[in-house]
Amino acid sequence: MATWLLRRLAAALAIVFAVVTLGFLAIHLAPGTPFLPSDERTIDPGVLAALRSRFGVDQPLPVQYGRYLNALAHGDLGVSFSQRRPVAAALADAVPNTLLLAGTALAVDLLLGLALGTYQASHARRRMDTGIRAATLTLYSLPVFWLALVLLLVFGERLHWLPAGGMRDPVLSTAAPFAARLVDRLRHLVLPALTLGLVGAAGTARYQRAAMLEALNQEFVRAARAKGLSERRVVWVHALRNALLPAITMVGLALPFLLTGAVLVETVFAWPGMGKLTADAIAARDYPVVTATALLASILVVAGSTLADLLYAAADPRIRTRDA
Amino acid sequence: MNGAHWFAIVAAIAWSAWAAQWLRLHFERRQRRATAGTGRRFVRPPGTLIAIGILVFFVTVAVAAPLVTPYRPSRQLDIVRLQNAPPSWGHPLGTDLYSRDTWSRLAYGARVSLAVGLLATLLAATVGAAVGAAAGYFRRWTDAVLMRVVDVGLAIPRIFILLVAAALTAHLPLAALVLLLGLTSWFATSRLVRAEVLTLRERDFVASARALGGGDWRIIFRHVLPNVAAPLIVSLALGIGQVMLLEAALSFLGVGVQPPTPSWGNMIAEGRDQLATAPWTTLFPGLAIVLVVMALNTVGDTLRDALDPRAGAS
Amino acid sequence: MRKAFLAVLGALWLAAAAPSSAGRERPLGDCTGDYCGTLVILGIGQPTSLLPPVTDGKLDSDIFDQIFLKLADIGPAGNTFGDSGFEPLLARRWRWVDPLTLVFSLDPRARWQDGHPVRATDVAFSFAVYTDSTVASPYRAALRHIVTVTARDSLTVAFRFRDRYPEMFYDAVYHMRILPQHILGETPRAQWVTAPFGRAPVGDGPYRFVAWTQGESLELEADSGFFLGRPHIRRLIWRFASDFSAAVTQLMAGEADALQVLLTPTNVARARADSLLAVYPYPGTVYTYLAFNLRANGDSTRAHPVFADPDVRRALILATDRVAMVQSVFAGTAKVPPAPMPQAWSWLWGPQLTVPPYDSAQARALLERRGWRDSGGDGIRGRNGQKLSFHLMVPVTSGSRRMYARLIQEQLRAVGVEVVIDEVDGGAFDERSRSGSFDTAIQSWAADPSPSSSVAQHWVRNGGSNYGHYANPAFDSLVERAVTAPDRAAAIAAWRRAFQTLNGDAPAIVLNAPDNVAALHRRFANVRIRPDAWAALIRTWRVAPDQLIDRDRAER
Repeated sequence: MATWLLRRLAAALAIVFAVVTLGFLAIHLAPGTPFLPSDERTIDPGVLAALRSRFGVDQPLPVQYGRYLNALAHGDLGVSFSQRRPVAAALADAVPNTLLLAGTALAVDLLLGLALGTYQASHARRRMDTGIRAATLTLYSLPVFWLALVLLLVFGERLHWLPAGGMRDPVLSTAAPFAARLVDRLRHLVLPALTLGLVGAAGTARYQRAAMLEALNQEFVRAARAKGLSERRVVWVHALRNALLPAITMVGLALPFLLTGAVLVETVFAWPGMGKLTADAIAARDYPVVTATALLASILVVAGSTLADLLYAAADPRIRTRDA
Repeated sequence: MNGAHWFAIVAAIAWSAWAAQWLRLHFERRQRRATAGTGRRFVRPPGTLIAIGILVFFVTVAVAAPLVTPYRPSRQLDIVRLQNAPPSWGHPLGTDLYSRDTWSRLAYGARVSLAVGLLATLLAATVGAAVGAAAGYFRRWTDAVLMRVVDVGLAIPRIFILLVAAALTAHLPLAALVLLLGLTSWFATSRLVRAEVLTLRERDFVASARALGGGDWRIIFRHVLPNVAAPLIVSLALGIGQVMLLEAALSFLGVGVQPPTPSWGNMIAEGRDQLATAPWTTLFPGLAIVLVVMALNTVGDTLRDALDPRAGAS
Repeated sequence: MRKAFLAVLGALWLAAAAPSSAGRERPLGDCTGDYCGTLVILGIGQPTSLLPPVTDGKLDSDIFDQIFLKLADIGPAGNTFGDSGFEPLLARRWRWVDPLTLVFSLDPRARWQDGHPVRATDVAFSFAVYTDSTVASPYRAALRHIVTVTARDSLTVAFRFRDRYPEMFYDAVYHMRILPQHILGETPRAQWVTAPFGRAPVGDGPYRFVAWTQGESLELEADSGFFLGRPHIRRLIWRFASDFSAAVTQLMAGEADALQVLLTPTNVARARADSLLAVYPYPGTVYTYLAFNLRANGDSTRAHPVFADPDVRRALILATDRVAMVQSVFAGTAKVPPAPMPQAWSWLWGPQLTVPPYDSAQARALLERRGWRDSGGDGIRGRNGQKLSFHLMVPVTSGSRRMYARLIQEQLRAVGVEVVIDEVDGGAFDERSRSGSFDTAIQSWAADPSPSSSVAQHWVRNGGSNYGHYANPAFDSLVERAVTAPDRAAAIAAWRRAFQTLNGDAPAIVLNAPDNVAALHRRFANVRIRPDAWAALIRTWRVAPDQLIDRDRAER
């Protein structure tokens, strides 16, 4: 177990290093330069040169890379070009927002997906199953930003049931009592979390349906039925427990994506999270933020897949004996 | 939009229905022969017929685009009076912000979106199969190195890679877009193929081929890969849908297919600002994507059930 | 066990979703009277910093101009010659001691928001910072005619100029916001660019800084003791949207009160139709033109094979129906200016400057005469094996420029010219413009109130933004004459002659000068918008007491 963990750790470090280097190279080699105005203004070449020099962007690439690695080793992520403050501060603002959105979306994804998939398996091939299959197939095939746009238009603009983007109402967030502010935050959360969660749930439901069907075919289910347990208990307690493994792995693998990649949903709903931060940073050539995001993303993915493997091994004793 | 065009559209629909039916019968006949005597009941996900029909229809429309559409996709009919016109007999899907006919753009856009999806996925499948086969067959160092590369590739969210890569080139020609999408989509396939090859290489027929002195790559091509074909084809069908969605996302962010070439993705992007006042410009290309991806997913599921008996009951 | 785990998860999630700061447990607020009002303004993008010398972003200056004061500001007419129309702010009065020395007397009532009085030494300090090369302020070049700024006593400051020119007063007052020396004096100049003061400024203006939530909102609160009059609107809140579509969505959903520009005719129509919004058109400061690269794409030593010929350029101008395009893209909210000039300079538009007509027949004739003929039958003209084909570069970020690109492509196709559109990302657009790696590009600029700096940048030989490499010594000397003219009339005449020369050379297809149309909630009254800085006069806006809504009554 210990050797396995050490090997994984070494591999993880190598992967993170590779990703950060690739990210660094890619953004530095992209045409265009940071510090350009985003609207239709000119910039004085002297001012541009001074900014580039102040932030060390005019050094040759290997020098910049070396400096970056050195700073990273000391825990310094650099200063954001667009926000003019430490990258760590920018991340500290963005990460909790993404965690909130991703966490809620994941909850919706899992709860809805597992429930639907299990229900489908227990009513396999009947009308409800077919109906839900069609629904999940549709959701799974939607471009997620298109769904976001449509939901925003219908519920935000036309019906005015829910806010049209953002994370909170700037007026309410300082003046209203606690309960009103909580409700406001939740109202802003509904549409983006639903968009991400629904599409995820469709995928989860598909997997879960197949896994449950396989579980229901097993010996122990027949034994449980023979023992006289109600169908509901058989399906929702015994079979489900065995079919949870794929879901667990999916959590491990889905988490990094939700944390760093929900760019489209965050852009449409103006949610100030990691995805939006990354997209904005790439467009503005904000080098420190881009490399920091690459670092964060790779760490999360590696951690996520390691976690998934660990959970898998913990859940299924058969796997533990076979070394990876 | 004259009678000839309407006739062509109806003809396309009829042909799609017929082709779908023919394909299904042919397929079923093959399956019956394959599972005869095993007592296994061959089950099919519902809607396969419609799915095949949809795919054939869109492919036909794409190929025969000049026959079914009255205008060139970039033709601006009347930039003052025909801007954002709602659907009518003359323009069944309305016009867009530049007074271009939406139906014409949809048909020509099918060419681009379907082609990009197919070519990029083929590229991804080829690279993934080659890498996976090499890793699974040669093992040890080749396996270790290749799989670490795959891990790195899987470690970064795709949208991130694509955004950065799109920023790297000032403007993406179509070929570059296909390459980009293909080269970032092969990682999962390689894992799949590697797993298959790992089991296969222990089988007797491989051992005997090696004993007979065949070259490694020859064995891979002639004996191992054909047996991997089944899951590969399934992942191909499902992969095309994923790539099409990705192309749409890239165009939405402004870095996909460049205008005036229409693609379903950049039609959605261009129509976004008009969503409240002229929703047809965004709705129809979105609907087209959804239909095609749904169809591809259904066909993929069917193929998985049919070609891979170990995939579990459907 | 499982239930407990789920309960803990649920509590954690609720805690995360819950707002962090403790609010006061009473209703939204009960402010009444003339000094209530909350204005929620939509901003596109993010401010970089609120420290005036280090940034010239429009969003940044909209915000920090509420917090910091200039000595004086231009009047609504936008006159920049002499001092007529200028409104006193920090300076109560001024006089010319000699032709090169301007002396200001500061208003003794002016106070920094931490209580210290504003002194002449603050003005001298500000000038030192603005012109310090370590700080590298974008405004440094604008202040190059001023030699020294000295404090004569605690409320008197003297500006000494190097030479005489029409805009001396404008340069002295318009660019510099006065900074507090007692707070910023100790900050090393090299660190101004990232100074924390830029995220929590202390100023002397009508509003004070309250809070800035990155990526979401920024709040300012009125200073009730402001010496020029207490602002009627008590709170200003900027809401940041990532792009224009998102901003319009929020405006239409009633979640914000103000948007500076509506940009497209569809949005203007929607705003007019909305019962809660009022639209305010005002002269725009933006102008757009399609620049021809007179040098070869990527190689400035050779002439461009197509565009070196002025008749080809004139033909291309004739072949584009600019009035129809303006109507299609802007539907009446923009004009085609007679030269590359915004509407804010309409005091320069004169009868001798005329818009070239749309005449595709003449365009074809001109091209034929210059030897460009369609020999291959593919609809595209050619000459000596060279096709009349070129690339048109536009940034993906600008919807209207992309529209123009498509419209121009079609119109030129009709006269046998092939245009390939390159839609590139913003950074790439800028880089390729600078390095001359383009055939044509649609450039769009926001102009200052004064033409002196902009025109020099864009059209004078070796000007910083003269990406098309236009060079005409006659034009350069006319510009020089305009910039150093002794009085307003002479300056205007000189500018007009300069632009006439420019038009004659046809270095660009002048496309549009849009109106700006702002949308504001109906309840706001006494709305005055200055074209060069739309938010400059917010302190004079008000909400009638009988029109207050919930948002206005809210107290912190």
